[in-house]
Amino acid sequence: MFKDIADVRKRLGSQQYIASEEIGTVVYLAQSLCKPILAEGPAGVGKTELAKAWAAAAGRPLIRLQCYEGLDESKALYEWEYAKQMLYTQLLRDTLQNVLSDVQTLGEAADRLAQEEDVFFSENFLLPRPLLTALMSDEPVVLLIDEIDRADVEFEAFLLEVLSDFQVSVPELGTISAKHQPMVLLTSNNTRELSEALKRRCLYLYVDYPTHDAELEIVRLKVPDLRPEMAQQAVAVVHQLRNMDLRKMPSISETLDWARALVTLNAKSIDEKTLSNTLTVLLKYEADVAKARRMMGHGGSRYGG
Amino acid sequence: MDDRVVEFVRGLRAAGVRVSLAESVDAMNAIETLGIVEKDVFRESLRATLVKEKDDFAAFNELFPLYFGSAGPPLQSAMDDLSADEQEMLKMALSAMSGRLQQLMDWLTSGEGPTKEQLEELASRSGADWASSQQEGRWVTRRMLQQMGFAHLEEQIQQLVEMLQQMGMSQEAIEKLLGVVDANKEALAEQAARQVGLQIAKQRANRPEDLHGSDLMYKSFDALTDNETEILRQEIQRLVTQLRSRAALRRKRGRQGKFDSKGTIRANQRYGGVPLEIKFKTRKLKPSLVLLYDVSRSMENVVEFMLRLSYELHDQISKMHSFAFYNRLEPIPDEVMMALRHNQPEAAFGIIRQMLPYIPYGTDLGNSLEEFEASHLGVVNGRTTFIIVGDGRNNYSSPRADIIKSLQRKAKRLIWFNPEPRGKWGTDDSDMLDYAPLCDAVYEVRNLAQLATAVDKLMAGG
Repeated sequence: MFKDIADVRKRLGSQQYIASEEIGTVVYLAQSLCKPILAEGPAGVGKTELAKAWAAAAGRPLIRLQCYEGLDESKALYEWEYAKQMLYTQLLRDTLQNVLSDVQTLGEAADRLAQEEDVFFSENFLLPRPLLTALMSDEPVVLLIDEIDRADVEFEAFLLEVLSDFQVSVPELGTISAKHQPMVLLTSNNTRELSEALKRRCLYLYVDYPTHDAELEIVRLKVPDLRPEMAQQAVAVVHQLRNMDLRKMPSISETLDWARALVTLNAKSIDEKTLSNTLTVLLKYEADVAKARRMMGHGGSRYGG
Repeated sequence: MDDRVVEFVRGLRAAGVRVSLAESVDAMNAIETLGIVEKDVFRESLRATLVKEKDDFAAFNELFPLYFGSAGPPLQSAMDDLSADEQEMLKMALSAMSGRLQQLMDWLTSGEGPTKEQLEELASRSGADWASSQQEGRWVTRRMLQQMGFAHLEEQIQQLVEMLQQMGMSQEAIEKLLGVVDANKEALAEQAARQVGLQIAKQRANRPEDLHGSDLMYKSFDALTDNETEILRQEIQRLVTQLRSRAALRRKRGRQGKFDSKGTIRANQRYGGVPLEIKFKTRKLKPSLVLLYDVSRSMENVVEFMLRLSYELHDQISKMHSFAFYNRLEPIPDEVMMALRHNQPEAAFGIIRQMLPYIPYGTDLGNSLEEFEASHLGVVNGRTTFIIVGDGRNNYSSPRADIIKSLQRKAKRLIWFNPEPRGKWGTDDSDMLDYAPLCDAVYEVRNLAQLATAVDKLMAGG
């Protein structure tokens, strides 16, 4: 458990995650108020990474549920292992025969079988999916529900019970409550509006693109092989690109990919040639690349050796 | 402190941020855990618990300093740097001034600004209780400063300097004094602005809500005032949620289609071919839309709400292409949708007007349809629902009903949304009576309620 906000930031930092004061505050609050965090922001600013770092910093396993359109309870919560049930029925055929050998009527047989019914609907045959795994875990876990905005509205409504009471009902087994309340992080890329009810239950964290200095620190931490002055130049270029009117802004992960590419290519400086060769690592649309090339063509000399 | 937070929550609500009771309880708990000593931590804990929407951060950032900031930067005292003689001179010079101005000069030199009560009084007298927005607040602040005597301040300072010079104060001491007065002047203006801001925010929180969105749903689009349109914009979120859950439910119930023999065989291979799992074909029930919007001035309200609805419901729609037409036709870029979503209709229509500049009596659907047929026909296929949002008024240009006819044949359905009442169709330059029989359905969308019903029918496939 974290002692205070500074401790949160320090321990996230030791997992190579640079947390702003805001992130530290929200993570600390989530822990002490036992509330899920809803993290929103553009793609690739490290929302998912936060969950990983959080789990590692707190020394807890991470359980991840990736949301997508059409995701339903059976894929998120649990499934009965149908094939295993069938297999057991086949293998236990002899035993079943023994149990039922001395009955006279069909009704009696059915009754006796009903007594043994629990065998087939026990936890042996339950295939827990991420949500149930998180609830049933013997140690506290961090649960990441990734890209919740991709899931359907019904699924969001279903999550409400899980997130507020940390329990679920399995009709055949009854209600299962969490042994340890998991720490939950939901992420959303804001492709659609989430319901008020879901938002109400969460602490809200908006993760934006980092400032120049913060991003420089991240690049230095994650790509230590890149020479400092190169890192400086690279981050400056990325920030200039983010100021342009592009279809898709380069994210932190793309900055890091680019930094690694520069190391691999053994680039001495970010000149026009290097830039135009590697621009596609940063920008993923043809129109954006063309636009950036035009812009760099004019101001490119500023980054020249 | 608790009272202050409750007041702050009320202020947020009045500024249009939705804060529930549970969330304010969370905020209290957060404050209990983290305390209020560190200002940044305090602000972030309030923001994480109360504000769940990035768009609302602006309102939060505006109100937070008003409620929890200090009353403004403190004033400095000019006396400290002066010798006893010089202090005496300053006092004498000040006492020679007239009432109101003397007080202002006193505040500016002594380092003791007006009390909270004095500030409140001044703000009220300048009209802070009547202003309804922070924009008007700037005007109130100006008046308040004038009341305090800022208008004649420069002359006054000049006079003071002259008097002090006559009394024989050194130039150095005077310079120092002026420096302090200048700094205090800015600090005092800042204090006044904060006081006005706070009073406006509080006052807005206390005003009862007089108009309700649900009644406006039935008011005709062309009769809406700007204020009412604004209220309806807030209402649209609720409407979308309703429509979406109905559409989702419908899709769920209608999900089971025909028996899927291939799928069943494949799925049951792992059970040794014993058909344990039966598979059904899912029917595609999400509509694929092509929308043509008439963006002439009379249509703005309808178009705005329809664009909003179609954008917000995009997860219930499999494909969507939107076009704006006036005298010509242009695809609607994403920026328009983003602007609408962030409640900036002026910006949205600004972009459209730039693409399709205004011409008197410019609407020409016939020509727009020709352009559509020439360059965008590819987006229409047998699964497309083709929707025209327009009043069918063509300024006596050729209606080109033949293109409508061929589009209807090519698309799955062709639907017309018309904001005019049926009785007006065919009058003057309206070609609606020519178009109507060619459409699969024509909906009258004079108000938001009718529009919502029409969209709901559209989602249901009717």
